[in-house]
Amino acid sequence: MSGFTISRRTMLAGSAMLLASTAMPAPGWAQTPKKGGRLVLAADSEPRNLNPAIVASNGVFFISSKIVETLAEASFDGKDGLAPRLALSWEGAADGLSATFKLRDGVKWHDGKPFTSADVAFSALQIWKPLQNLGRTVFKDLASVDTPDDLTAIFKFAKPTPFQLIRNALPALSSVVPKHIYEVGKIEDNPANNAPIGTGPFKFGEYKAGQYYRLTKNTDYWGKHEPYLDEIIYQVLPDRTSAASALEAEEIQLAAFSAVPLADLDRISKVPGLKVISKGYEGLTYQLVVEINHRRKELADLKVRQAIAHAIDKDFVIKTVFLGYAATATGPVPKNDPQFYTADVPTYAFDVAKANALLDEAGYKKGPDGKRFTLKLLPAPYFNETKQFGDYLRQALAAIGIDAELVNNDSAAHIKAVYTDHAFDLAVGPPVFRGDPAISTTILVQSGIPDGVPFSNQGGYKNDALDALIAKASETLDASARTDLYKEFQKEVATDLPLINVAEWSFISVARDTVGNIANNPRWAVSNWADTYLES
Amino acid sequence: MSPLRRFLRTPEAVAGALLLAMLIAMALSASLLFPGDPQAIAGPALLPPFQDWSLPLGTDRLGRDVLAELFHGARTSLAVGLAAAAAALVVGAVVGTLAGFAGGLVDEVLMRITDAFQTVPSFLLALAFVSVVGPSLGVVVIAIALGTWTGPARVARAEVLSIRERDYVAGARVIGMHPLAIAFREVLPNALPPVLAMSSVIVAAAILTEAALSFLGLGDPNRVTWGGMIAEGRAVLRTAPFLSIVPGIALVLTVLGVYLAGEGIVETTAVRRGLS
Repeated sequence: MSGFTISRRTMLAGSAMLLASTAMPAPGWAQTPKKGGRLVLAADSEPRNLNPAIVASNGVFFISSKIVETLAEASFDGKDGLAPRLALSWEGAADGLSATFKLRDGVKWHDGKPFTSADVAFSALQIWKPLQNLGRTVFKDLASVDTPDDLTAIFKFAKPTPFQLIRNALPALSSVVPKHIYEVGKIEDNPANNAPIGTGPFKFGEYKAGQYYRLTKNTDYWGKHEPYLDEIIYQVLPDRTSAASALEAEEIQLAAFSAVPLADLDRISKVPGLKVISKGYEGLTYQLVVEINHRRKELADLKVRQAIAHAIDKDFVIKTVFLGYAATATGPVPKNDPQFYTADVPTYAFDVAKANALLDEAGYKKGPDGKRFTLKLLPAPYFNETKQFGDYLRQALAAIGIDAELVNNDSAAHIKAVYTDHAFDLAVGPPVFRGDPAISTTILVQSGIPDGVPFSNQGGYKNDALDALIAKASETLDASARTDLYKEFQKEVATDLPLINVAEWSFISVARDTVGNIANNPRWAVSNWADTYLES
Repeated sequence: MSPLRRFLRTPEAVAGALLLAMLIAMALSASLLFPGDPQAIAGPALLPPFQDWSLPLGTDRLGRDVLAELFHGARTSLAVGLAAAAAALVVGAVVGTLAGFAGGLVDEVLMRITDAFQTVPSFLLALAFVSVVGPSLGVVVIAIALGTWTGPARVARAEVLSIRERDYVAGARVIGMHPLAIAFREVLPNALPPVLAMSSVIVAAAILTEAALSFLGLGDPNRVTWGGMIAEGRAVLRTAPFLSIVPGIALVLTVLGVYLAGEGIVETTAVRRGLS
């Protein structure tokens, strides 16, 4: 067979191909995913309640989104930015009073029982609406769910509800849990909250506190040939510095959610066999926000708030605190949002002289010690970046004569101090933008929210025009009219500064080259990973 | 031989004294050499040491001058160390004297309280106290004192037990002095030397505890502390190790200095006692 004789020419061609293959980005080279293997990755927190239908947060999704699926997942190229999961299609009625979901056929729960529309109805009415942190607002007018057959669920609303909002909420808010497991006893105390049962590509294996979570392959999964992996192990590594060394030592193959500190990325990107990926978090944008307590008379003055906005050098924050892995913010909707963002808002350039002039105008002259007044500043402790920005903000405020005293708290104490006791003047918070301002963004500035609701307006801010705008948008059914109202909303927030948006950031994954199909949707880290595979 | 000369003849004591003098000089000169806020942003972020001579030890993640932070950190360390040790010694001496002098029920009660404090690891106690009350310099001092006053209390009590049987104490009783006056005017001053001998160990431990608390994020965030500097440097340990190493070395030298100098003093006084 002549095919086996190796001439110099074919040899050269072969090596050229090899070179080309290493130079090409991975998605360009159509690889057939390999079956089998165990993916070990770093987990930095250990949520106790793993039920994503109750606790819709990224910490929970990170683990349970592989077990419990939603009706639809975010997608880079799907219609309306969605890809079907448990629902195959969705449609809102013109009057905004109903929404129809056609469900996937042949889906089974991990215990073998069939998945039907009754499960969707139960999850929506018994869990999303009354119990879920985010669903409480989005599904507040959900009156009933009709199930004409096993594969159709029709949501009925008491008041017209924009379908755009329901659609945008699907990826994060629509985790479906089995009715037959949850219908007995109190939902909050159900043992399945700690060992979830779902329809996803992976089953819950075991959890060893302080050590690992183990998920195993669901051999009965509805996806053809999926999942590829046999097992996923979440290795608990609470120390943020250890994830990088674990990757280098090949103890883990993936560190998502920026488990590797930003400062280490430059070094680690040069380590052979490791890749740094900043894609796959587009749908999980965190916002760096200065929360303001408007009960302080100085801060109730718009000029003072403007001065603070002018005192913050956003570019410095991006460059130094986030090492370039972030973007400056202009308002309450992040720039990377395809539907709602508008750049047409007042902006506040870094200008210390102007900030000082504004404070003088407001009547807060510098005292003999160069200080105008003293504030209490509470940076949220959840991220290194929020703490560092707190340190920076203190310096930025000192430059305009405001003496900020830092108060450090642990997570629980911070939430109590800011959202229940209002014992702050300024706070640094990282709210999340979840694809629609009505899900978790308007609540940050809306008035009339009871004390103790975390990540909401607890600064005593009240602006009737803004409240009216939010109320109007919540009942506007036409998607483009609704979008326009939210553009108006962004303008009003940037003008009146109930809070100051500084930056928008997302996360970085670091993985070994052998992990395939990474970051192929905008919520990749919290999606189901059915198509993730390992090359051996 | 004068005590000073005897002190100077032990090399480790001299080394300790020199280190301590350096630390005190750093603490005192901090606001002269580095006026203004040491946490102010002074240059580009993560500048390595010995690159720019206006920032000889480089800068941290926000571009703050590491040398300025080091000097101001010396202040915090020394202030907390001395204040906590002073508080612990005062409380310990008073409790020990009362218990030893009064005896009986008072002794029992005070010593059981001391036991209770001793059974809880002192660092855990400090950690719990700061987490509950909230971190500030005063709270940190109290937190450290809470866990360290028991040692001086026990030593003081033991000393008082032997002193209260002395003739001059009986004499004071006879002339009708108030028992409290006897305890604190006659007994306590004589019971003090062995208690004070513990001070170097307590100061050294207090400095370390403060650094550990700051490292865990329970220090006063508005002040530079060495422990806080190490904690902040830890996030960039692989790329900028000097941020942790520099304050770490300062901490080691300080604790070593305090300890050696303290040992020197104890030895000098012990020799003098032995001679007399």
